Amino acid sequence: MLVYLLRRIALAGLMLFGLVCLTFAIANVAPSDPAALAAGPDAGRSQIEQVRREYGLDRPLPEQFVRYVGDLVQGEFGRSVATGRSVGRDLARYFPATLELCLVAMAFGMLAGISLGMLSALFKDRWLDHAMRIFAVSGIALPPFWFGLLLQLGFAAWLGWLPTSGRIGVSTDPGDPITGLLLVDSLLRGNGPLFVQCLSYIALPALVLSLPCLASILRVNRSEMVEALRADYITAARAHGVSRWRLVTVHALKNAMLPTLAIIGLRWGWMMSSTVLVETVFDWPGIGLYAVSSAIAGDFKPVMGVTLIIGLNFMLVNLVVDLLYGVLDPRLRHA
Amino acid sequence: MALSRGVRLAAWQLGRSFASMLGLVLVAVIVVLALIGPWIVPYPDDVAGAVRLSGKLQPPSAAHWFGTDEVGNDVLTRTIIGARLSLLVGIGITFAAAAIGVPLGILAGTVGGRVREIIMRLTDLFLSVPGLVLAIALVAALGAGIVNAMIALVLVWWPGYVRLAESKALSIREEAYIEAARVAGAPRLRILWRHVLPNSISPIIVKMSMDIGQAILAVASLGFIGLGAKPPTPEWGAMISIARGYLPDWWWYAIFPGAFIYASVLGFNLLGDGLRDILDPRSNRG
Amino acid sequence: MTTTRRAILHGAALSALAPSMSWAFDKDGDRKILVFSGNQAVPVLDPHVRYDWSTRMIQQSVYDGLLKYVGNPPRIIPWLAEKYEASPDGLTYTFHLVGNAKFHNGDPVDAEAVRYSFERALKLNAGVAWMLKDFLKPEKITAVDAKTVRFVLERPFQPFISYVPWWYIVNPKQVQANVVDGDYGKKWLTENEAGSGPFKLKRFDSTALIHMDAVPDYWKGWPMGDKNRLSGVIYRIVREAAPRRAGLQRREMDVVTNMSPDDMQQLAKLPGVRAEDHPGSTTFGIKFNCQTGPTADINLRKAIAYAFDYEALITIHNGGAKLMDSPFPPTMEGHIPVPGIPRKDVAKAKEFLAKTKTPSGGIELEYVHVQGLEDARRIGLVLLDSLRTLDIKLNIVGQPWPTMVARGSKPDTAANMTSVYVTPIGTDPDTVAFQYHRDSWGLYYGMSHYEDKEAWAMIAEARGLTDKARRMALYGEIQKRIVADQPEIFGMIPNRTWAMRDYVKGFEFSPVRFTGEVDLYPMWIDA
Repeated sequence: MLVYLLRRIALAGLMLFGLVCLTFAIANVAPSDPAALAAGPDAGRSQIEQVRREYGLDRPLPEQFVRYVGDLVQGEFGRSVATGRSVGRDLARYFPATLELCLVAMAFGMLAGISLGMLSALFKDRWLDHAMRIFAVSGIALPPFWFGLLLQLGFAAWLGWLPTSGRIGVSTDPGDPITGLLLVDSLLRGNGPLFVQCLSYIALPALVLSLPCLASILRVNRSEMVEALRADYITAARAHGVSRWRLVTVHALKNAMLPTLAIIGLRWGWMMSSTVLVETVFDWPGIGLYAVSSAIAGDFKPVMGVTLIIGLNFMLVNLVVDLLYGVLDPRLRHA
Repeated sequence: MALSRGVRLAAWQLGRSFASMLGLVLVAVIVVLALIGPWIVPYPDDVAGAVRLSGKLQPPSAAHWFGTDEVGNDVLTRTIIGARLSLLVGIGITFAAAAIGVPLGILAGTVGGRVREIIMRLTDLFLSVPGLVLAIALVAALGAGIVNAMIALVLVWWPGYVRLAESKALSIREEAYIEAARVAGAPRLRILWRHVLPNSISPIIVKMSMDIGQAILAVASLGFIGLGAKPPTPEWGAMISIARGYLPDWWWYAIFPGAFIYASVLGFNLLGDGLRDILDPRSNRG
Repeated sequence: MTTTRRAILHGAALSALAPSMSWAFDKDGDRKILVFSGNQAVPVLDPHVRYDWSTRMIQQSVYDGLLKYVGNPPRIIPWLAEKYEASPDGLTYTFHLVGNAKFHNGDPVDAEAVRYSFERALKLNAGVAWMLKDFLKPEKITAVDAKTVRFVLERPFQPFISYVPWWYIVNPKQVQANVVDGDYGKKWLTENEAGSGPFKLKRFDSTALIHMDAVPDYWKGWPMGDKNRLSGVIYRIVREAAPRRAGLQRREMDVVTNMSPDDMQQLAKLPGVRAEDHPGSTTFGIKFNCQTGPTADINLRKAIAYAFDYEALITIHNGGAKLMDSPFPPTMEGHIPVPGIPRKDVAKAKEFLAKTKTPSGGIELEYVHVQGLEDARRIGLVLLDSLRTLDIKLNIVGQPWPTMVARGSKPDTAANMTSVYVTPIGTDPDTVAFQYHRDSWGLYYGMSHYEDKEAWAMIAEARGLTDKARRMALYGEIQKRIVADQPEIFGMIPNRTWAMRDYVKGFEFSPVRFTGEVDLYPMWIDA
């Protein structure tokens, strides 16, 4: 078991270094001139060269790589050439927003996915089940950006129930961050209206983001439930008069947990990808939007920084899921 | 003949499931539109760059079923031609990724050892960053454009095929008939070609079918962000990205291309599911 | 449930009773906060490093200059300098500062601060430096006494005064206290300010939100009276147009800009919304590469210029634009309508095409525009359609601004055609004419790499002339010459538009400001 753990961690470390090399390799195929970016629209040639020297963009590649790795070890992701600010600082500023969005989406996806999956299994082959199955397939096929636009159109523009975009009201001051997660912070401060406002802003983007995850969890839970409900011990319990409800919630649910966990690991990566699209549609100030606006502006350090952070985060989540799996799955525990 | 019976069985199985039939119908519609699109569209000039500003941003009507866009082009025409582009791109990416990934995977699975280690580590590396994020990084480096978007997506997609082919090849390696062929002295390549490949093909076909839909979605996503096709190419994602600026008053511009993306992806997904039921019924359903 | 700004303010105020301090913003009596929304971030606030419309709007609010541009037509009024004199030979300028100007931290605005600021801008050699650096050396600026500053130019330079309002004055004590590694305070001034302007920075998030508080005892006072003045201004950066529209409709925002002409048409119809629509001074031109490629041939340039559908430019703007009739915008001193400036004439276009190396077309050209600018993209589509009559194909490329500028800075890499919006920085015709001079090659407005030695000589001469009549006559000649050489397709001058709630007062339009930029100082809310 310990061996498994250590090996897994060592592997992750190796992957991380590979990731660093990969991002550096990508970064140096850039066709646009990063120095011109920093210098601004009215810069003359001499000003651009000045900036190039300042940012070390004229040194040979191997030297740039060594500098890059050294910087990363210190937590320095370079400077955004467009804003002149440290990418690390930008990432720290925007990451909590993405984290909050993904957590809420994941939580909702799990809750809704498990409950709907349960319902679907219990009412197997009735109309509810069919509707759920179609819904499940849709969840994966629906383009997140299009669905987001539809929701914006419907709930925000036409009905006016929810805000169109952003994370918080224009003139609302959320105060200094405690955890960085606005929902948590507002609860910690006991500020009800602020909490409700934040909830209204996160509702639509989280819904869109949660859909593929919800769909997957629904399908898995449904099939696991169906399997579990058919299992012998369930039949035995039923014969003993245990209520169907109890069977489902206690026994079947426990068994469905493991595959759901696996899905979460898989879907977390998917979510990180989709967050790029959802943040763009809803103007959510997270690292996804940061990456997109930087990519369009030809600003590489931020794009690389975001790629690294998301890759790292994805690796960590997978590592945790693998470890948890190892702990929870009795078959693996004794491997 | 076994083949025709197999085909008839498959068709019957497919026909039994409503979902698979729906998938088949959707895919068929998209394919037909892609094939005969240029001949049936009402305003073919609108895809070549005609500009009719006086008719801009018109709502859906008899003359323009899907309305017009910001330069007066017919949205229906551009959406249908977009089908051709999206389908080609989706198929291209999937086939290219498979062409790279499958041989590598089979190689890794059958040869094993050092070669396998290297290939699998490389695969894991590319899989360590979620797809769209890696694609954005690649396109940001290469420059926006549909070709670069395709290259980036192939680079993102090929690892999936390696994994699949490798695990299939590994399991087949143990099969008795492979052992028999090896004992009989068949050269490795022949074993690969005549035995391993045909037996691993089923899950690969299922995956490819579903991936075409996902590839279409991925290209549209990149187009939506602004890193894909350029105007006046009628790519669905790029159309939606521009249409976004015209919401909510001129909503038709964004709605229809998106609906087509949804229909395509849904179709290929359902079809893939159906194919899986036929070709690979023992596989773990997720 | 539309959440109005006031509802949030109330909610915030109520919850201020809870035992936590910083998150309810301070209200100044019953004063209002103006919320202004646009699509452009403010990456660097340092007034001597960088400027663009959003950046300068904030800079003009937190800093002061010796002089200031106001009004339409724009005029220069005294600001930190209550008066100035110029010597007859045009070399020496003496400014006398007002007695009561103070920086936000209480330090007086004195001559040394002015000297330091100009010196800093010249030494950093970025942002505004280009305007004066060839004519002013930092050693030639002297603080004669606490309230008098003297500038001695290297050569007479008529446009000098027209550039001075853009050189903001920073507090040397604050800047020096925050110098890091001899960077002249650049790092600190990126997100902080050391100014004397009517507003001070409260919160600065360069890509999301900038919150400024009004300075209650601003040395120049408040034109709307202290009772009516704002508590502060929030500049909210929202990249997409739809949320800005929604924000204005729901009264979460009071003023929005960067709306498309189609959006403006819809917004103007809404109750409670006022559309401000003013003829601008920003010219839109499609610059040809006059040095390399097919467009180096003047006949091809003329052919394209005559094939282009100019009326489409007006239609795209729903009538809110004027076609250029000269390289100079009509608001510029010395502007003349140049006779014979090209308009759509397909026959003439084909005539010119016949004289080129490719008389029947069959070539492909590249058109580059700023990525994200919808109007420039649409104009590209119009160009594509226009060129079909000449059988010329067009490749439309959207690039980020810095990439476009970098490419356009050299004749070998500049695209065949690049579309650029240029706003003249001042009221002096030199600002526009100089764009066609050899020294402007490499800058974003010099992407045409225009070459005409006689024109250059005329432009250089006009800079130094002191006789106004002669100068203007010369500029007339220059305009005619430039049009004849056709270094670009002369496009249109789009109107400047803002949509605001009708309770917003004090909006003053001045064409010398950039598109979208407003002077926040005189604005207030009457509700």
